[in-house]
Amino acid sequence: MSQTQVNSICPFCGVGCGMGLVVNDGCINAVKPLSKHPISQGKLCAKGWNTPFGISKHNRITQPLMKKEGVFEVIGWQEALTYIAQNLQKCIRESGSQSVGVISSARATNEDNYAAQKFARAVLKTNNIDHCARICHSPSVVGLKQTLGSGAMTNSIDDVAKADVILIIGADSTENHAIIGGHIMQAKLRGAKLIVVDPRQTRLAQIADLHLQLNIGSNIALLNGLLNIIFQHNWQNDDFLARRCEGTDALKKHVADYPLDKVAELTGIEGQKLVEAAKLYSQANAAFLAYGIGITQFISGTNNVIAVSNLALVCGQIGREGTGVNPLRGQNNVQGACDMGSLPNVYPDYQSAADKKVREKFSHAWNTTVAQAPGLTSLGMSNQARNGKFRGLIICGEDPIVTDPDRNKVEASMRAMDLLVVVELFMTETAKMADIVLPAASFAEKDGTFTNCERRVQLIHKAIEPPGEAKADWQILSEIAKKMGLGGLMNWQTSEQIFDEMAQLTSSFSGMTYSLLAKKNGIQWPCNAEHPKGSRWLHTTTFPIGKGKLIPVDHVPTNEQPDAYYPFWFTTTRLHYHYGCGSMTRQSPLLERETPNGLLYIHPQDALDLGLKNHQAVTVSSRRGYLETRIVLSNELVPGLLSMPYHFKEAPSNMLTNDAMDPTTEMPELKVCAVNIVPLPKNQSPCPSSISTDIEDWVIQ
Amino acid sequence: MLQLTPQTIRIVDFYDDGTDSRHFTFEPIGFALESPIAIGQFFMLTVPSRGLAPFTYTSFPDEQGRFNALIRKVGKLTDQLFTCKKGDLLGYNGPYGNGWPLAEINQKEVLIVAGGCGLAPVTTAIDYLIDQGRANSVTLLYASRDQESQVLKQERERWQSKINVYETLDIQGDKDHSGLPTEHLSAVLNKVDHHPDILLTCGPEAMMSNVAKMCVDLGFKSTDIWMSIERRMRCGVGLCGHCYIGSTYACKQGPTYRYDEFLALEKANTVAHLYPQYFQYC
Amino acid sequence: MLNDIYLLKDLSILNAHLAQHYSVVRLAKDTDGEVTWTEQAGATSAPLFGHANLPLTSPKAFFFPEQESLYKFDGKTFETIHPKVKPIVLFGVQACDLTAIAYQDQFFKHDPYYQTRRDSVLLVGIDCEAPCKNGFCAEVNAGPHVNSATADLILSRLKIDDRTNTSEWLIVASSEKGVDSLRDLTLEKADEGHFKLRTKLGDQVRSQFADFSYISNAIEYLNDKSIPAQLWEELSVRCLSCSGCTNLCPTCSCYSTFEVIEAEPISNTLEFETVRCWDSCLFESFQREASDHNPSHKAAQRVERFWFHKFSDEYLPEFERHGCVGCGRCEQTCPGTIGVHSVMKRIDEVCCN
Repeated sequence: MSQTQVNSICPFCGVGCGMGLVVNDGCINAVKPLSKHPISQGKLCAKGWNTPFGISKHNRITQPLMKKEGVFEVIGWQEALTYIAQNLQKCIRESGSQSVGVISSARATNEDNYAAQKFARAVLKTNNIDHCARICHSPSVVGLKQTLGSGAMTNSIDDVAKADVILIIGADSTENHAIIGGHIMQAKLRGAKLIVVDPRQTRLAQIADLHLQLNIGSNIALLNGLLNIIFQHNWQNDDFLARRCEGTDALKKHVADYPLDKVAELTGIEGQKLVEAAKLYSQANAAFLAYGIGITQFISGTNNVIAVSNLALVCGQIGREGTGVNPLRGQNNVQGACDMGSLPNVYPDYQSAADKKVREKFSHAWNTTVAQAPGLTSLGMSNQARNGKFRGLIICGEDPIVTDPDRNKVEASMRAMDLLVVVELFMTETAKMADIVLPAASFAEKDGTFTNCERRVQLIHKAIEPPGEAKADWQILSEIAKKMGLGGLMNWQTSEQIFDEMAQLTSSFSGMTYSLLAKKNGIQWPCNAEHPKGSRWLHTTTFPIGKGKLIPVDHVPTNEQPDAYYPFWFTTTRLHYHYGCGSMTRQSPLLERETPNGLLYIHPQDALDLGLKNHQAVTVSSRRGYLETRIVLSNELVPGLLSMPYHFKEAPSNMLTNDAMDPTTEMPELKVCAVNIVPLPKNQSPCPSSISTDIEDWVIQ
Repeated sequence: MLQLTPQTIRIVDFYDDGTDSRHFTFEPIGFALESPIAIGQFFMLTVPSRGLAPFTYTSFPDEQGRFNALIRKVGKLTDQLFTCKKGDLLGYNGPYGNGWPLAEINQKEVLIVAGGCGLAPVTTAIDYLIDQGRANSVTLLYASRDQESQVLKQERERWQSKINVYETLDIQGDKDHSGLPTEHLSAVLNKVDHHPDILLTCGPEAMMSNVAKMCVDLGFKSTDIWMSIERRMRCGVGLCGHCYIGSTYACKQGPTYRYDEFLALEKANTVAHLYPQYFQYC
Repeated sequence: MLNDIYLLKDLSILNAHLAQHYSVVRLAKDTDGEVTWTEQAGATSAPLFGHANLPLTSPKAFFFPEQESLYKFDGKTFETIHPKVKPIVLFGVQACDLTAIAYQDQFFKHDPYYQTRRDSVLLVGIDCEAPCKNGFCAEVNAGPHVNSATADLILSRLKIDDRTNTSEWLIVASSEKGVDSLRDLTLEKADEGHFKLRTKLGDQVRSQFADFSYISNAIEYLNDKSIPAQLWEELSVRCLSCSGCTNLCPTCSCYSTFEVIEAEPISNTLEFETVRCWDSCLFESFQREASDHNPSHKAAQRVERFWFHKFSDEYLPEFERHGCVGCGRCEQTCPGTIGVHSVMKRIDEVCCN
């Protein structure tokens, strides 16, 4: 029972807490928080504490599987790789490189993601590479790139402790970024003012000084309204606007169209509260603004982000300690997956794929031709698959069947493809649809780096061997490249070699090495000749695009609104206890037990009006789909608004959600649609909507 | 040392006994049921692949050690149990807990108020008193949701001619036999010859709480009111911590609590446990 | 006891002696500066002192592991899975953690798994020489000096010679096991004077603690039930049910069980293994029953329960002390800032008015 501890980083959300993996006889049965970690300082959330269950060897996929006549059979790696290589080549030969692609994972390492985009661009010769940032913060990446020149958190998590006003918009951070949520609660206790903008009464809203409980989808009206109040009272930071921004006059004129009474009407918030919030935020010495997917997951996602940025710029609450525009990124490495270029439009470090010079740079460095045509987003690939134009896809560690909008459409796309390869830890709903499933190594079974939401690149360490024949994503992709005759392109032996190759081809990471990262508990990018120690704050003296851009944006109604047939607003949420599709957290008997008895949250008044009792079985339907679950009465909601967490395959909220998209980023409007709710007949239990259960017993030797 | 490892028992037989409920007969394999089982005690039943949960005995073991238990299907463990066939093997630990107060009920006139499956833990108490020739001293008020969900049909038929049995249903039944047990308590007490002076109750906690309060108003001493409390358990022997009630564990100091002691335990907390306005019999 | 006290200048002699019979587990600092219990065969340096290096995790898991297989069912019978143990010496355990181990010894008195593991461990305590960051052991009678009933051997530094950088250690063999462990080791006998010096040093450390009267006050308020329910409501909004406090608390012991199904390839059958794992009374589902009845469905009830369990006098008959040993770990690990100091301060603040 010799016991060792390997320090690593939590594999769940974007906070990036330190986590000690306790290794006993080659197994991880416990994790410990790390008291010296700069962010978590000895804390973990429920998900973090339950990590051992999420990577336990039980229920893991340990060998390559091939679907034959509807059931999976264990096959050898060579057979699997040959099959994949031949079928990818067939698709490319017959339909061109545009017919194949890769979806990488925001849960995987930077090295895995670098390898994935290189595999797509240099081996498959396509820019069809994407990952789930598409459905969480793609509007942040694009929106903030336009206004500030960089799409990441401008400040650091620690800045919460330095702020005297904290403004949280559309983020349930105690549940989803629990340790940041904790920092915020601590700041509130020491006397910082807390303003929460959220249609639900979240935990933070309950302790806030001001809760602006806006009508769902009225973010821009609210933000423009605040700006108008600020200009009217002359609360703007004129000095900052003069020195650092452009477009002030146009914006001022534009927001004048958002007078108090109109904004109160659109948002449902009384005018006095708006004035109070505007004053608090604009007049603070340092105001920390953070937002989540309650800003981005709208058809107006990119404009929402721009409106947020406008507010911070006008008040000069950016570029200093305790301030900033801070998107709270979802996954442990969603920041890194974006940074590494697992996006169709950019190479690593956001070098534009549309730029011929960039393509030439990488073509030269990699010593091969690279993709020329613009790439498809994940939803683009999905749509093209239903047209028969997209035929072969490799998915590394994502479960779009559960997590993407309008599940019926996603399922149809997957079925339409000639080749679907899923690299996974567990038999997820998406893996069940695959032709080939490959066993992936978990974060505890490989080396690499994760980048948290404050741009901190942190090392993770291999603590145990992968179970069975599982391998790291980058190793798997290298093997496929080899089978396709291009092994030389991805001939790495260690993850460090990948990191070094990446660092050489980027600016933001050029000053980083594994040994430096080890010494300093991670480094925040940019880290280069100009910023050798990394960057705690961005934009302190200038923006990468020179001046900050103030861009007028307008309120638009959500794509769908309640009507006679679908009379309720519907929104999606997350629970503290579960993560994403639940593939890891639901392995924990404790977290699984925490799953509520019903998944549809409803205001008690609505339940009363409908004659529903707590935990009564109901059907919920939208224009796109239907599911069955039980209701939970909740005072967090307002009457007329229903909510549902999206982690559960039995009652997947994405049966209902709307895939109407933000025109700029193709971000679907996951946060809002219209639904109807009808009680199930008495004594009838909800029927789960998981993928055909006959595949559940997939272990066939 | 405690023995956490279960012993093996076999499902000898079962029959449906009320909505979603089955009456099982189990038999020990390779061991003898030791120490006589006290009325109102419970055992931990292990369903392989699903874990363990507490259930009460509805009969004393016979010469072969066979005993009965009434089980309602309410969760994952019982879902799995209900797929089991005759002859299937399960795990057993027990007997555990403190049962009904033998000395007191031997001397007093006994009122029993049971709700739903709460009839199961009082079954052995009723049979014990009948065996002792004290059937005349027993009055049972049994409440359930509807006729279909009434459990222990055979036992109730057997008791019918021996003890005073009153039944009430939530939503069916005529005027005299519908509604909550509290609506019938006074009437029942007026009907019986010997006025009961001790109460045994088992059912939803909200029901027990209401019944106990009313009995105090009707002149029962709170030291003569006993309730059998249900809690989630993972061991049965005071280790896992799930079944706490104040500073006690229901598996060790319970599951039978005297009303005044139970109230004292609850009062240790300032955050009141509010019973739901509506409850359902289990 | 005065018969079994000794003096020693070089602790590595004791370390080496014990290493002949035990695997030596000591506190060590890793490259990130994290202090953990680590197996170290040939350690020569002095042990890390608790006041400067209290590890975030107590040695609880050595006796009551985070996950532990209890028994398995092969389709026919249930078979106990006995813990695999080897003799270990925990070298340099602080008074608070030793007090907690003694508390757990009592709680798990009849638990065969705990006792098997516990029997294989020799506890070498070390006296703290200063208060630690969040610690208040003196306030709850759990330190700073080791209570002799809680350890087999006690190390206490009597003197430091700065010039030669050497120390003089008092070694107290405080149990039969402790006395046995020193057999065949030649040590200089100490006298009553040395023992008195230790007591004096202990009093000095005690006097250095900050004023923790708010903790004693709050314990009183807890026990006379004068804390308004509203205060628990207020505090419980900040409880995220992360389970950090119960995981790190050295006297928390609640567990759950789960089943692991393993295919047995030879007989082509399935084996079901029952594993117990640490649980937390702060989880909403901790007491929730299959029927959905939940006696502690409100967060405020659960938060109150946790502190009741740590500070209620109702546990004194069984344990002869409160459950809290004053290590302060919950203060550091709680994301919602409702660890022991924050809660006790708030209670004192609200109730004294």
